[in-house]
Amino acid sequence: MTKETFLHDKHVQLGAKMVDFAGWHMPVQYTSIIEEHNTVRNAVGLFDVSHMGEVFVSGKDSLDFLQKIVPQDISKLVYEKAVYCQLPNLKGGLIDDLIIYKLGINYYMIICNASRIDEDLNWMVRNSKGFDVKIDNQSHNYSLLAVQGPKADELLRKMGLDTMQESFTIKPAKLCNHKILISRTGYTGEDGYEILVENRYSEELWDKILEYGKEFGIKPIGLGARDTLRLEAALHLYGNDLDENTTPVEAGLSWSIPKNKQENYNGKDIILGQLQNGCDKKLIALKMLDKNIARHGYDVYFNGEKSGIITSGCISPSLGCNIALAYVKNIKEICNGATVQVMIREKLHDAVVVKKPFIEKRNKVKIGE
Amino acid sequence: MSITENILCSKSHEYLLKNDDETYTIGLTDYAVEQLGDIVFLELPDVGITFSKGDTFATIESVKAASEIYMPISGKILEVNSSLVDSPETLNEDVYENGWLVKVKATGDISEQDDLLEYEDYKEELE
Repeated sequence: MTKETFLHDKHVQLGAKMVDFAGWHMPVQYTSIIEEHNTVRNAVGLFDVSHMGEVFVSGKDSLDFLQKIVPQDISKLVYEKAVYCQLPNLKGGLIDDLIIYKLGINYYMIICNASRIDEDLNWMVRNSKGFDVKIDNQSHNYSLLAVQGPKADELLRKMGLDTMQESFTIKPAKLCNHKILISRTGYTGEDGYEILVENRYSEELWDKILEYGKEFGIKPIGLGARDTLRLEAALHLYGNDLDENTTPVEAGLSWSIPKNKQENYNGKDIILGQLQNGCDKKLIALKMLDKNIARHGYDVYFNGEKSGIITSGCISPSLGCNIALAYVKNIKEICNGATVQVMIREKLHDAVVVKKPFIEKRNKVKIGE
Repeated sequence: MSITENILCSKSHEYLLKNDDETYTIGLTDYAVEQLGDIVFLELPDVGITFSKGDTFATIESVKAASEIYMPISGKILEVNSSLVDSPETLNEDVYENGWLVKVKATGDISEQDDLLEYEDYKEELE
C-alpha cells in the first residue's frame, strides 16, 4: 500500500503531479521542475520530505553501538552537531547513507532514506546484540520540512526563529508556537534548514512557511527538482549512486571516513584496505558535450571499450548543459578533462570528466566569522 | 474551429492530423506533454525514412525521463520540425501550431486509423 505524508492533501490542493516514490505518494512537481529548481538556487523553496526515516538511538551503549555500525567517529560528535555517515555491511557495501545527530548524552537521531528504513532497522537490530541500546523508529510520528535556498535563513528569522546556528547543527526550537527540531542541513547544495515536527502540526507549519515566504518568492518544490538540485551538488542518491555492492571509497566518500578511528566497525578491513591500496571503480562527474542526456544505466565507453555505467543523469538548469555521475574503471587515464563516451540509443555521445560538485556549494555557514 | 476537432489520437498519446494535401502531421497530444513536464530534448528522424505503424520514430526527454514516440500510422517522413530540436521547450507551450513533430505520406491502408480515437473520446478514455 502506498503511504501518504501528513501533507499529502496540501500537495494535491496545490496541483502537484503525484508519483509513487519508495512506497510513498509524493509530489514530483507542482508547476515545472526547472522553475522549482531555479527558485531554490535563487530564492527559497519548501519541500515535504516526511517520507524520510527518523530513528532515535538511546541507552548507555549508544555510542559503542553507533561506532560499530558506521565508519565515522561518533565519539567526536558533540552535542547538537550532525555528521554525514554511511551504514556499511560486512563487505563495506552500503546499506544506506545517513545523517547522525547528537541530541543529548546517549541520545542520537538518525535520518535515513525512505526506501531503506526497513533494511536499516533490520541491520541495526541485528547489530545491537550485546549492547544496552534502544532503537526507536519514530518515522511515522514526525514530518520533515526542508526550507532551502539563499533566502531560507532570512525567511525563518522573519518567522521569529533565532537561527544563529552553523551548518550541520541541530537545535530544539519553537516555530509558530510548536516545538521543532531544526537542523541546518539539506540536499540541494544551498544553505537551508530541515525542520522536524510532530505530524499534527505539519500542515500549519507548511502553510505558515509558504505565507511568510511569499515576499521571498518561495515555492513548494517537488522531488523532481530535489533530484536535479542534489545532482548539481554531486550529492549521492541511494539506489542510483550507492548500493550494497559499492563501498564509500568507490563512491568518492573517502573524505568522510576517518583513517585513525580505533573502534572496529562493519566492513572496516575492506574500507581501510581500499583507502590505502585503492579500488577497482570510481565515481566520476560528467558533462555531456551535446544535447543528449545520460540516464541511469547507460554504458560509458573509454577508448572504444566499455568502461563503466551512468548512475544518475539529468539536465543542469543552473549550468545549461547535461550532467551525470558514473562509475568507471579506476584507471588514471580517466581523469578530469578526459573525454569519455556515453551510449545513448545505440549511439556514442562525448562527455568530459569534470570536478565534483558541478556547482559551487553554498551550504557551509559558520557563525562568528 | 479548434484543431483538436480534426485530429485522431493514439493510446500512446500521438496525434494524427490530415492536411489538405493528403499528407499527415504527427505530434504529441497536449495531455502527453503536460504529463511529461518540462521538455528538454527531442530527437527527430531523417526525412525520407519510412516507418511502420507502431515503430519508434522519435525520442523525447523531460527533466525526469526519456520516452519514445510511436508512429500512429505507417508513413514516409516528408518533413521534420527541426526548429523544435533547438528549442524543445516550445512543446510545453503548444503541441499543434508550432509543436508538431513530423509530416508524413501515409504508406499503409486507411484501416490503420481504426484504432485511433477522436480527441474527445481520447480525453474521455484518460479519465
